[in-house]
Order: sequence, then structure tokens, then C-alpha cells
Amino acid sequence: MVRRVMADDQPPQRTDGPGDPPSGASQGWTALSYLISGIVVWGFIGWLVDRWLDTGGIAIGIGTVVGAAGGVYLIARRLGT
Amino acid sequence: MISQSVVLAGGAAEFPPSVEDFKLPALVEGTYPWLTKYTLLVWVAVAAIIIFFLVTYRNPQLVPTKRQWMAESIYGFARDGIAKDMIGHEGIRFAPYLATLFCFILLTNFMGIIPGIQTSPNSHIAFPAVLAVISYVLFIYVGIRKHGFGKFMKNSLIPPAPWFVLPLLILIEFFSNFIVRPVTLALRLFANMFAGHMILLVFTLGGFALLNADSLFVKPVSLLSWAMAIALTFLEAIVALLQAYVFVVLTASYVQGALADEH
Repeated sequence: MVRRVMADDQPPQRTDGPGDPPSGASQGWTALSYLISGIVVWGFIGWLVDRWLDTGGIAIGIGTVVGAAGGVYLIARRLGT
Repeated sequence: MISQSVVLAGGAAEFPPSVEDFKLPALVEGTYPWLTKYTLLVWVAVAAIIIFFLVTYRNPQLVPTKRQWMAESIYGFARDGIAKDMIGHEGIRFAPYLATLFCFILLTNFMGIIPGIQTSPNSHIAFPAVLAVISYVLFIYVGIRKHGFGKFMKNSLIPPAPWFVLPLLILIEFFSNFIVRPVTLALRLFANMFAGHMILLVFTLGGFALLNADSLFVKPVSLLSWAMAIALTFLEAIVALLQAYVFVVLTASYVQGALADEH
């Protein structure tokens, strides 16, 4: 009884479906998430390479920069129109 | 006031506040950590939400009564403002979950500023973590159910890009979608409520610390400290509302991403 009142389905009014990119704040969080993920993941891999080859921190630098570039690329592809 | 300040200065709550202030004792001896103020508050929140919606929807009228209007506004906000807006028409079936989530987080957040309660269960990482896990399982489940495991993973891990950059991007996608998402969901809510409670503790207990100071000139400053505590309580009200909204919007956004056909 409660459910019938609350979950009343109405005919579709909006034409946009789940295929469109998310809007507003969530888009911002997605972008931030990609950027940080890129830096963290490839920075970590760079750190491992640095430990392995003893490059004196250069591998970490390369890793974070490459990761940030990857993150920016992903933001452009996923969120850009 | 003076007796209270003596009690507070006597070691009941020392200044400056620390993480220890968040470890409240068990309500009944030997039940720690299963029966503390936090778990009690969670059950109170659950009961309050159930009772609220049962009572307000008991005799639904075509022209809503005031109580019915309140409940319908909250549900309508979650349904139209979040579920439909973020996910599209398909999102209406998630509206009950999103509305429940919104009400629960909002109520438990507000417990942080309700006089007499003034702690929020969400200032303990366990409670936001469980909520985040529920949302995490939900968006993976609906994604796999709609697309099948392979296509869901392909949608969420493989961006449209030339093959030679894919190894670089797939790792980022995996980390961003399956690790950062649940962690930040839980951490954002927890950290906001924790920090908010901590700030209120600093100014409230700081007022007592100033009042107990030896110098006569320092004592009046405690009034300023308490005024700040009151002002920040209103700020916390905004934070409580905002964090409940952000949590639900991001959950809806993740569900939307899981249901999306192609990127």
C-alpha cells in the first residue's frame, strides 16, 4: 500500500537516458578521482621500479607525470563531449 | 555553570580533545563495542525513519495533509531530484534505496548537532564504510546484471583509446572505479563528521579551559569561544545536509555509470 503511493511509475518525460555523461558535482568528483588515481597508481609503480633499479627517485617522477597525463587523457575521453 | 566547568576541568573531558573522545563506553557493562551510544543512535535513526514514513503515509490523501506533504517532498526530492535527474527514467526503481540512504545519513549526521545527543555515528569510520560497501555492491551488481560480467568490466575498464595507451589507462580506470570510489565515499562522510565534531569540541572545551585560566583577562574570552561553537553548529547543519546529498548523488552517479551502454 505504502509502496504503491511511493513508487508510482510515470510515463517517461525526459529523453536522456543512462547513456549520457553524469552531470554537475559528480562529474567533478569523477575528474578528481581519475587524476588522483593516475598519479597514485603510476607513482606507486614508479616507486616499485625505483626500489628495483635504484634510480634515485627518477622512476617515481616519471611514473607520477605519466600517470597524471593518463588521468587527464581519461578525463578528456570520458567526460569530454 | 561553575560546577560544570569544575567537572569538565576535573578530567571528564580534557582540553585539547583527542580521538579518545570518540571512544564512548558501553551502555551496559561488557557489551563494548556492540552496545554504545553510537549503535543505539543508529537503531534510533532506523526506527525514527520507519515510523515517520509509516505514520505520514498511513492514510494517503489526494490532497496531501501537512505530514504527508513532508514525506512526499523528501521522497520526491530523492526520486525526481536525484534518481531521475542522475540516472534517467530507469533510475526510478532506485529511488526507494536512494531516499532511504538520504534520510538515514541526514538523520545520523544531524545527531551530531542535536543538543543532548551531539555525536554522530558517522564520525566513526565503520558506519560510513558499511554504507559505502552497500552502494559499491549495488552499482557492481546492477551493472553485471544489465550487461553481464564481461561487458560490464569492458565498459568500466576499457576507455575508447588507441591500443598502445590502454595498459596505462586500464590500471587507472580500475583504481579509480573499484578502489577510489568506495574508499572516498566512506572517507568523505566520515572525515566531515569527525572533523565537525572535533571543531565543536575544541571550541566548547576550549571555552571551559579559558574560563579556568588563572588570568582574569583570559576568562571572558571563553564567551567568544562558546559563541564560535554556536556559530559553527549552524555551519555543521549545512555540512550534514550537504554530505548526505553528496553521498546519495555519487551513489546515483555510480549506478548511472554501471547502467550506461557505451562510453
